[in-house]
Order: sequence, then structure tokens, then C-alpha cells
Amino acid sequence: MLKTLKTGVAATLLMTGAAYADGHGGPYAEYAGTTLVVNFPAHPHYNAAMKVLPEFTKETGIEVEVDQLPYLKMRERQTLELAQDEGEYDLISYVVFSKADYVFADQLENLAKYFMNPKLADPNYDAEDLIDGYVQNIGVAGGAKGYLPGPTGSLFGIPFGSETSVLAYRKDIFEKHGIAEPETYDQLLDAACKIPELEPGMGGMASRAASGHQASHAFLLHLAPLGGRVFDDAWNPIINNDAGVQAANALKTIVDCGPEGAMSFGPSEAANAFSNGDAAMFLDSIAFMPGFENPDRSQVVGKVGYAMHPKGVRRGSQTGGFGIAIPKNAENKEAAFLLMQWLTSKQGDLMVAMEGGNPSRFSTYQDAGLNEKYPFAATFGEALKYADPDWRPIIPVWGKINADIGTTMSKVLTEDLDIQEALDGVAERTRAVMEEAGYYTWQ
Amino acid sequence: MSIARVNRLSPYMFMAPAMVIMAIALLYPLGYMIWGSFRDWNPSQSIGEAEFVGLKNYITLWNDPNFRESIGVTLRFAFFVVSIEMVLGVGLALLLDRDIRGMSVLRTMFILPMMIAPVVVGLMWRYMYHPTIGTFNRFLESIGLPKVDWLGDYALTSIIIADIWQWTPFIFILSLAALQSLPRSALEAARIDGATPWQQIWHIKLPLMMPVLIVTGLLRLIDAFKVLEVILVMTNGGPGLSTEILALRISRTATEFRELGVAAAMSNYLLILLLLLTVAMFAFTRIQEARAARVRAAAEEAS
Amino acid sequence: MQNQRANPAFFAVIALLVFMSVGPVLLMFANSFKLDVDIISGTSGLLFLPTIQNYETALCDVLWYEPEHLDFCSLKFGGAFINSIIIALVSTVLTLVIGSMAAYALVRFRFMGRDTVSITTLMVRMVPPAVLLVPVFGLWNNEFCLDKDGLIGGAIRDSFGGRGDVCLAGTHSGIILIYVAMNLPFVIWILQSFIVQVPRSLEEAARVDGAGPFQVFFKVVLPLIKPGLAAAAIFTFRIAWNEYLLASALSDRNTKTVPILIVNNMSEFNVEWGVIMATGMLLAIPPIIFTLLASRQIITGMTAGAVKG
Repeated sequence: MLKTLKTGVAATLLMTGAAYADGHGGPYAEYAGTTLVVNFPAHPHYNAAMKVLPEFTKETGIEVEVDQLPYLKMRERQTLELAQDEGEYDLISYVVFSKADYVFADQLENLAKYFMNPKLADPNYDAEDLIDGYVQNIGVAGGAKGYLPGPTGSLFGIPFGSETSVLAYRKDIFEKHGIAEPETYDQLLDAACKIPELEPGMGGMASRAASGHQASHAFLLHLAPLGGRVFDDAWNPIINNDAGVQAANALKTIVDCGPEGAMSFGPSEAANAFSNGDAAMFLDSIAFMPGFENPDRSQVVGKVGYAMHPKGVRRGSQTGGFGIAIPKNAENKEAAFLLMQWLTSKQGDLMVAMEGGNPSRFSTYQDAGLNEKYPFAATFGEALKYADPDWRPIIPVWGKINADIGTTMSKVLTEDLDIQEALDGVAERTRAVMEEAGYYTWQ
Repeated sequence: MSIARVNRLSPYMFMAPAMVIMAIALLYPLGYMIWGSFRDWNPSQSIGEAEFVGLKNYITLWNDPNFRESIGVTLRFAFFVVSIEMVLGVGLALLLDRDIRGMSVLRTMFILPMMIAPVVVGLMWRYMYHPTIGTFNRFLESIGLPKVDWLGDYALTSIIIADIWQWTPFIFILSLAALQSLPRSALEAARIDGATPWQQIWHIKLPLMMPVLIVTGLLRLIDAFKVLEVILVMTNGGPGLSTEILALRISRTATEFRELGVAAAMSNYLLILLLLLTVAMFAFTRIQEARAARVRAAAEEAS
Repeated sequence: MQNQRANPAFFAVIALLVFMSVGPVLLMFANSFKLDVDIISGTSGLLFLPTIQNYETALCDVLWYEPEHLDFCSLKFGGAFINSIIIALVSTVLTLVIGSMAAYALVRFRFMGRDTVSITTLMVRMVPPAVLLVPVFGLWNNEFCLDKDGLIGGAIRDSFGGRGDVCLAGTHSGIILIYVAMNLPFVIWILQSFIVQVPRSLEEAARVDGAGPFQVFFKVVLPLIKPGLAAAAIFTFRIAWNEYLLASALSDRNTKTVPILIVNNMSEFNVEWGVIMATGMLLAIPPIIFTLLASRQIITGMTAGAVKG
């Protein structure tokens, strides 16, 4: 039935394409035969997109060659490519925190001129349907603080692979021991440490913790709901306040009560630990969740419940994921825009979602077929409402601060560094970085 | 006349390609790096656009606790790796120094680990160290012992073990070659004098092997500072900075943090460190060689 | 001492050593034929149904059929394998030719003393690839470039396509150049000790017959130092074949080598152990073959490097 649905969607698309091709050539005719070189991350959402790309070629005659890299490698590659006078990539996918770097260095095309071009812009695109929080978070730069929504912002990319965090937990285990679905952080931490006692050999919660970006990510994930921020409104580092200490404590508790080897987990190890049944909970991006329902890879199919990211002093799940944008130094910018528009259109978004991707449109989350195939889609849609766009600052110097937080958190986890002291150190070094970058010029 | 000129020029013509290539691909880059280390330089700039900052990169690094920790990790790694490998390699060579059939087959098997790509070595060990599906923990579990978080709690030890696995054969084979080229007369004489095997090893074999052992040790020491891929694949420097050796930190600073100037300054620190160690080893070699020559002379006199 | 030969403990030690050095390789070999499910669930030992699925996944871009279990081909191992072969072979041949010429000149024409050469070799060997990373990255990307509007640059762009100025970075030649430079000192060092042993009288006889210096070198000297060349070739090939760091900084999507592909494939989202083991196995096969066929030359090369130096 799902197959038919997919072909149904494809058929509709084909018909639209055919309609265009008939008579006046259609928007794609001019670019048929072009080969676009795109740079995608190795990521479940983009693996889903890879399955859909042949449809695009069939419909438009535009060939797509994909260079898929792990996402941290992808960023390294891009910083190099984008700095050239003429680059190889026509369309790139970027991690949301790269937005600041690329826009600041003037390396991405402003999308306004494409949406203004009647030959390129699809009148049925329905931008209203795109989840606004993500458009703002991933695509818009130049608003409040430079990275948040605001009147001075403009659009440089479109969300494709939008993620937020949800809690996956083992319904069977929780029911067996009469533990309620964790609503708050207290309940979460309580459950995390109770489970290893009740279920010998099983860790409480699987979390990222590996040194560097992963540990930083895991820390920030808890910082926002517990009421913390990295900076206050005047860019003063406040990562070492009570909320910061609480978040670091939470992470430490989780890792200490986590499965075997938790300290060196990256996201894939953490997700694997959960899908092998080595952990009872997993709090991370929705991108991993479809994998738990795949009988080829997961041993917990059907046993997983999905809940919203637990509440601390507020609800604040992560906003993250990827956007797609056109580099300034691209060769086939217009054809790249057409691909971008096609992938993020209502039909494109749905097709990718049906293959296991993460939708960026309200209509996709409401789609009956999707909800039938992935029962957790509704929870995700709900979670999106609380996605916090400010859970991590997206500023050009973030890479350095992120690495520092990551290394320090990893030391806290493995070497029992005093948390307050460790965070004070981060704050101090962060202040120096910010000072050098000129954030205190106006004070 | 022209033939004579060709003959006179030919030495230069034989040398020229090697000289040119080493000049443009080794010397020039090294000079370029020293030049770059005085600049605030990121990958999207050419070096001319980068701002000159004097010694700032060096000073920042000197005061950076993470950098110092990284040096500490590097030195510890190199020290343990080289000393354990030397002891094991030489010990095995002394133990297996006898005519057994199939020795060449054995040697073939022993050199296998070091022929395999470091990247592959890294992934094999990462698999074996894996907390749940890894070979070691499976084994521990099956005999009822608690699991060990190899790449978490004992990361440095774990990468040292992997390196020992890969490189002990190198020392073993070189020591074996050295042992087999020892003057038989000296050993014969010692045996006739009734020296126990231990005395033979301690007073004759080891001192005579010493020059080779020192060169071998020096080569291993230099290579220990080059190890990168194995660690990159196994731990990527973590947890914390516990396995972030200098080579890895340089590469991360350049590619991840995009600070080429700092990475260049770090490279220079590493070079200076290596130079100091090499010079020290050389001085040591000279002294040892003099001693070995004395022992050899004495041994030959005795025979 | 002789009677220890029959000592069972002695053979136990040998067996243990063999097991330790070969075991991990065999483990990888076995795992490369397992499905991920089998690896993870730990159906231990040798009781599993071997499958070539992992190899199909790895080699999907060069297979003549489309493996059924794949939705799309993402790994492109075949292309990387070809790149690795080109880079390793070309750089090995170049290093040998250039290196043997230089070694010959050093020995026969007494340019520098052997000490100078030894020290230079040691100095160069001392430089870790990581130290070369920054300058090579900068030079190959920004300085060693031909303007695309220039004569040669334009011709290259016209005939090979691509965009931007023609730079060494991202080309096979760029990676080959740095490998040749890195390996030259070592090759010169090893070959010197072989060339010294070539009797001068042979060369003089050839010269009397009217051969020029290059003819003497290629027709008389080179054939005589074949064992040395073999040893040097294996070591050069090994480094060029296995190197990761510099290649990853210099290659682009079309010139990726296998080690880069393997590191990339240890990605964050899905560690597919079976496929990784299969790619690792494929990368390890050429060195393993060399080891089995030419272990004597390898040992010669190693000892020539340390014992005679």
C-alpha cells in the first residue's frame, strides 16, 4: 500500500512535469542535460533523499551527482570549496551552525532573487507551509543577534532535514517496573539511574559523550530546558551559572548510569546501544528514530515509546539539522535552485519523509500516509512547537567555543574535573574569544 | 668535447630531479610553514592576505594548557611505546634466535601487522575494543569477568597496546638480524669459558647489538611521533584530551578550527622537540658506540 | 641450550605470537563476510552464514549488476581503489627512478659524504606528515596553481574540464608529488648500500664499448641492484598506499583514496561494521600479497635501513 502511495506521488509529479514540458518547454527544459554537483552529508535524511533524486532526474532531465561525506568532514570540505573563486558544488547541504560562517564570509547566495524570478519560482511552492521556526533557524541570517529571527534577516537557505530532540524509551521496560514516561528532568534522571539497578546489564540512557562536538552537543541539549544559555543578551558568557552546572551534572549522571562505554559514544554508538537493547532511553534528534523501527537493524522494533523532550524549568528541545543553499561560486545556480525548490516542495518533502527523512513542512506531518507508516510522526510534530531556536548560538566563532566546551565536558565525564571550575574555565576562555572577535566593541 | 661535457655534467643531471623535487615539495613547504607560523592565517586566505602577528601564535600555545597536555600525551605515548616495544622485541629476538625450520614463514607472519594500513589497524582495534560487540569484552564476559571500557577509561593504554601490536615485530626483526650477524667467535669463546646463557646475553650479546638497537630505537621513536591514523580512527583524541597526540592536534587545529597559523606554530614546536630528542639520542649513540667498540675489542682479544 | 629446541613451551610461545599477529587480521577477514546483525548480536566464532553482501556494498560502483539489498550506491569504493592504485604505482615508479639516479650520483661521483646523506635522510624521516599538512595544504591550494586564463592552465581546463584555477590540490599529481618527496631520502639511503656493491669494472667495460653515463646507469647498474629496488619499491608503495592525512587534505571528490573513504565511512550515524571490515580487507589485500610474496625483500629493506645505516 505504501509502495502504491509512493508511486502515486511520483505519478502526480510526472504529470506536472509532463504538463510543463508540453508546449512552452516548461521551467526545466532550459536546464535539461545539466549535471549538478551537490554535497550532502551521510545522514539518514539525506540517504532518504538519495532514493528520491532519480525521480527528479526523470522528471526534469537534470542530472545530479552527489558527493556524500560525514557531516563534520563535509563542513571541512566546504570551507575549502567555498573559498575558491570557482567552486565545484552547485548545491550544498550545511549543518545549521555553519550558517554563521558561510553567510558572514559572503559565500552563500541570497535566495531573494531566485524567488523573484518568475521563470524559476514555482507559484505552488507554498512557503507558508514550511515550518517557520526552521526557516528562521536554518535559513535566515542577519536578524536578532545575527542568527535569530528578526526584521533585518534575509533568507540564504531552506531547511532540508529539520531535526528536534525527542525522548525514545522502552515501553516494555518502563511498564514492567512501573516507571512513568518521564515528563520532567527530575523524573528523567531518576529513571536513568533506576533502570541499571532494576535491569542488570542495561544502561539507563544512551547519550552522546565523545570528546569534542558530541559532548558539547549533549551538554547543550540539557542546558536549554534547564534554563541556561551560553551567552546573556550582551554576549557575556553565562555558561557557568547554576543552570550550566545543573546541565553538566545531568549529563554526568546520565553517562554514569548509562550503558557500557558510554563515555566514548558518538551518536551512532548511542543509537546502536539503544537499538540493541543496551539502554532503556535515548534522547536525541528525531533523525535516528526511524532506524529503531527498522527490523533489519534494530532489536527493539515495536517496543519503543516516543515522548517529548522532558521539561526542566521550561520546554526547550533542540533545533538543528541541515539546510540546503547555493554557494556564491557555483556554476549552475539556477538549476541548483530548481533542485532545491523541488526537494523542499510539498511533494518532495513528503517523498523524502516516506523514505525515512525528516520533514520540514506542516502538511507533511499531517499527511495520513506518513502517520500510518511512522506512528511517531505526531509526537514529532508536537515536539516541534517547543523547539528552541536559541539553544545554541550560531555565531562565526562558535566552532572554537564548541570545541572547548566539548573537550571540557569530556574531561568532566572522564577525569572527574570539578564542574564549576571547568565551566568557569570555559567561560573565561570564551570571553577572550568573544573579545577578540569584537563582540564587546559596543560596550 | 661535447661528450666530455656530458660526462662532467652527468653527476648534476643524475642529482637534479631528486634535488628539485625535494626543494619544492619539502624544503619550500617547511620554510613556508615557518613563515606562516607568524601569521593569523585561515584556510580561505592565501598566505599573503594573512595578517602578520609576530610571535603571538607561539606565545598563545605556550600558555595553552590543552597544548601542554597534548605534548604530555605525546611524550608519554612515545616513551611507553618505544620502551615496551624495545624490551619485547629484543626479548623475543633473543628467545627465538636459533635455527628452526620455517623461521622465514614465521617472520612473514610477524611483519604482516606493520604492512597493513594504519587506518585499517585502527578500525580492527576499534572493533576489538568495542564496549559491547568487541572481541575483548565478549571474551571477558564469557569467562565471567566484568567488562572494561577500553577506549573510555583506558584509552591511552589501549592505543599503546595497538601500537605495540603493530610495531614490536619491527624491532624483533631488526634485533634478530643484528643477533645473527654477531661475531660467532666471541660467542663461542664465552660458551667455552662457561658463561651461562644469561651472562652471554647480558655481557656479550646486548653490548654488541647496542649500536643497531640504538638506531632501531631512534627510528621507532621518530615514528612514534608520526602515529596519527590509528588514534584518529580509534578515539579521535578523546575522551577529553587523553589520547590527543600532537600530530592529531595539529591536524584538528588546521582542519577543524581552521587556524593554520597556530597549527604551523605547533608543527614547529613538534619539530624542535623531535630535533632535541634526535640530537640527544645521537650523543648517546656516540658514547655507546665507543663502549661497544671496547667490549668488542676485549671479546676478540679473549678469543 | 640445544636441547631446548624440543621444549613445548617454546613452541607454545611461537604459536601464541603467530596467533596474536595474525589473529586480528583473520578476525577482520571473518567479519567482512558477516551481516551487521550477526556482528552485533554476537553469534560468535565461525558459526555464521558467510555473505558477500558487504563486498557488494563496497564495490557497488564497479559491479556489472545492481546488488539487490542496496537502494543506491553511496560508497564508490571502486573509484577510490583505482585512485589509490594510480597514486601508489606512479609515485613508486617515480621515486625509484629518481631516487636510484640520485643514489648512483652520490656513490659514484662522491657529492657528499655518506654521513651527510645519512643525516639528511634521518632529518627528513623525522618530519611527521602532520607537520607537512599545513604548508602543503596552503601551497598546493593557493600557490602551486596555473591561472585558468593562462596558456597551459587554459589548455588543461579545456581538455579536462573542471572549474577555477588549475591547482595541484585535488589532482593525482599533487598527491604523487608529496609522496615522492617524502619517500626519496629513504629510497636513496637504501639504494646507496646496494650501488656500492656494484663492481666498477663492469661499468668501465660498458663505457669502453661507447655507452654514455645514462646508458651505463640504466643498462648496467639498475639490473644489478634489482633486489634493492624491490625492497625500496615495497616500502614506497606501502607508504603511498596507506597514507591518509595528506591525501585527505589534498584530494577532492574525484581523487579520494581508499584510506580516506574508510575514515569517512566511520561516520557518526551508522557504523556499518561489516562494510567497513570489507573495505579494510580490500585495502589490506595488496600489502598482504606483497608480504607473502616478498617478505625477504621487506626484511632486506628494513635491515638495510637500520643495520647498515
